[in-house]
Amino acid sequence: MTGERKGLTMRKKQAIAGYLFILPFLIGLVGFFLLNMVQAVIYSFNDVRIVPEVGGLVMDGVGLENFQFVLFQHGTFNRELIESLIDMVWYVPLIIFFSLFMAMILNRHFIGRSFVRMIFFVPVIMATPAILTALELSMSMMMGGRTNVPPDVMAEMAGFSPEAITFILGDFGLPDDLVGFIVDSIFRLNEILRMSGVQILIFLAALQAIPAEMYEVAQIEGATGYETFWKITFPMVSPLILTNVVYTIVDLYSHSPVVETATSFFFEMQQFGISSAMSIVSGLVACMFLLLVGWIVSKYVFYVNG
Amino acid sequence: MVAALKTSFRKKFPKPQYIYDEHGKKIGKLAKRTKRLNRSTGGTVVLFIFMGLLAVFMGFPLFLTVSNALKPLDELFLFPPQIVVRNPTLSNFSDLFVSMQATWVPFSRYAVNTLIITLGGTLGHLMFASSAAYALAKVELPGRKMMFSMVVLSLMFAAVVTSIPNFIIISSLGLIDTYWAIILPAFSAPLGLYLMKQFMEQIPDSLVESARIDGASEYRIYWSIVMPNVKPAWLTLIILQFQGLWATTGGIFIRSEELKPLSFAMGQIAGGGIARAGESAAVMFLMMIIPVTFFIIAQSQMIETLTTSGMKD
Repeated sequence: MTGERKGLTMRKKQAIAGYLFILPFLIGLVGFFLLNMVQAVIYSFNDVRIVPEVGGLVMDGVGLENFQFVLFQHGTFNRELIESLIDMVWYVPLIIFFSLFMAMILNRHFIGRSFVRMIFFVPVIMATPAILTALELSMSMMMGGRTNVPPDVMAEMAGFSPEAITFILGDFGLPDDLVGFIVDSIFRLNEILRMSGVQILIFLAALQAIPAEMYEVAQIEGATGYETFWKITFPMVSPLILTNVVYTIVDLYSHSPVVETATSFFFEMQQFGISSAMSIVSGLVACMFLLLVGWIVSKYVFYVNG
Repeated sequence: MVAALKTSFRKKFPKPQYIYDEHGKKIGKLAKRTKRLNRSTGGTVVLFIFMGLLAVFMGFPLFLTVSNALKPLDELFLFPPQIVVRNPTLSNFSDLFVSMQATWVPFSRYAVNTLIITLGGTLGHLMFASSAAYALAKVELPGRKMMFSMVVLSLMFAAVVTSIPNFIIISSLGLIDTYWAIILPAFSAPLGLYLMKQFMEQIPDSLVESARIDGASEYRIYWSIVMPNVKPAWLTLIILQFQGLWATTGGIFIRSEELKPLSFAMGQIAGGGIARAGESAAVMFLMMIIPVTFFIIAQSQMIETLTTSGMKD
């Protein structure tokens, strides 16, 4: 009865189980995300129009014409692209450092911790269509029933309005210059705060996933807070720094003026080909930036399993 | 003179002694510590004051929302605007309730729609993303690197560009005007997978290996070992996904009124103009309070002492 091994090897069984685990997600990813991207690439090489008589889209191949238009003929696109890139270079490190710092404070034990954590997540909640509509209305009332504030301005300040602060500080009788300075710096801080909600949350989870024994051992061995941070906390959250970098870049990119231009070409001018070319160019630039930052960050990332 | 300076400098900053491993490579430094590097109590106080200031600043819109929702109509129109409500009233909510009664589709219908979309999308996404992340992080699979780069790539492309192909795909699947048009794409949102995978990478491989040697099936390892260890990760995932789906208006995918979600109906009421100002403030409060409550409940479930690597090495 000795002899042949029946069925599959363990490694093969494991691989089959693994593929079964991935399959449902992969089908959705390919169907709803990757096919769309391929389609967008095809559009970018075509002049795409909606022709109701045919009952759908008509495509005429134009080669690289769309890309040529986007890069060299459109008045503002290439400048916007560079500006978005510079914005990313500024904001990504600021947001990452700030959110890690905030997460470390919020991870300490104090009364009302969940509530304070929630407050830092509020900007994410506020960016909801129904809330934005209501906010727009209340803002126009605050400004003495003045005409409606444009919705894109509202989206900018979902979370906090510089107007409200201007009014309040003006009420205290502060001089205009000082009010201007305060509002300006608050606005910058607000930008960073508003964009770090999700990142703080992810870092909090990362801090919580660090096994408590590690800190216990460090304490017994007499490590200082400084050492504990650099030898335990930082290495253990470092993979999530990468995640947050990716998230921040995607977030900044999807709110950048480049994408807004692409959107207006899409919905207002119905130039689907050009719009696709714009997003592919800007998507590639963002991807390149992501690869560069990812490469730098991955040098410092520590994985438990080496 | 210089020599005296040198000795006093050395006294203050002694030459570091390095530790070498067996190949003569520097692996560490021995040095007398001149001061304690622990943060002082004063530092902690400063940190908390800083956090408190930021929290007050960030909490302001929330406070304003609550106070606006309680303001009677005449106070809402005061100029300059008042931060704190003077005569709190619930009339905004009762007005909203009247408006709700008057909708063409019963209001509870909108609530049920949102419930189905939010719960279905969140739970499905959690299952799909976490099981895929498990396989990518902990199972030896040929081609897993490539699959992972596909995920990152699909994160990068703006949803706008893909909206025509997306619409074509969803309509050719016959999903237009069903809940599935929102729920199915939510299942495969790439960010969740990326998040879960990074967390699962931090679980020691030896833990998974020992379970395998003891004869646990892949499903068992995933469900009873890996998932409990990344509880903070999936709680975060739930919060993010819940928030995203709660806010969805159905857009171009859901056309019939009786399938539209709550966010859409609330937006319609809030957009009713100056006459609906009070109701709009109440809408804002209601639309915020549910994700806020959800967030607090989910956050309070994260207790770090429960997480343990279970390793003795």
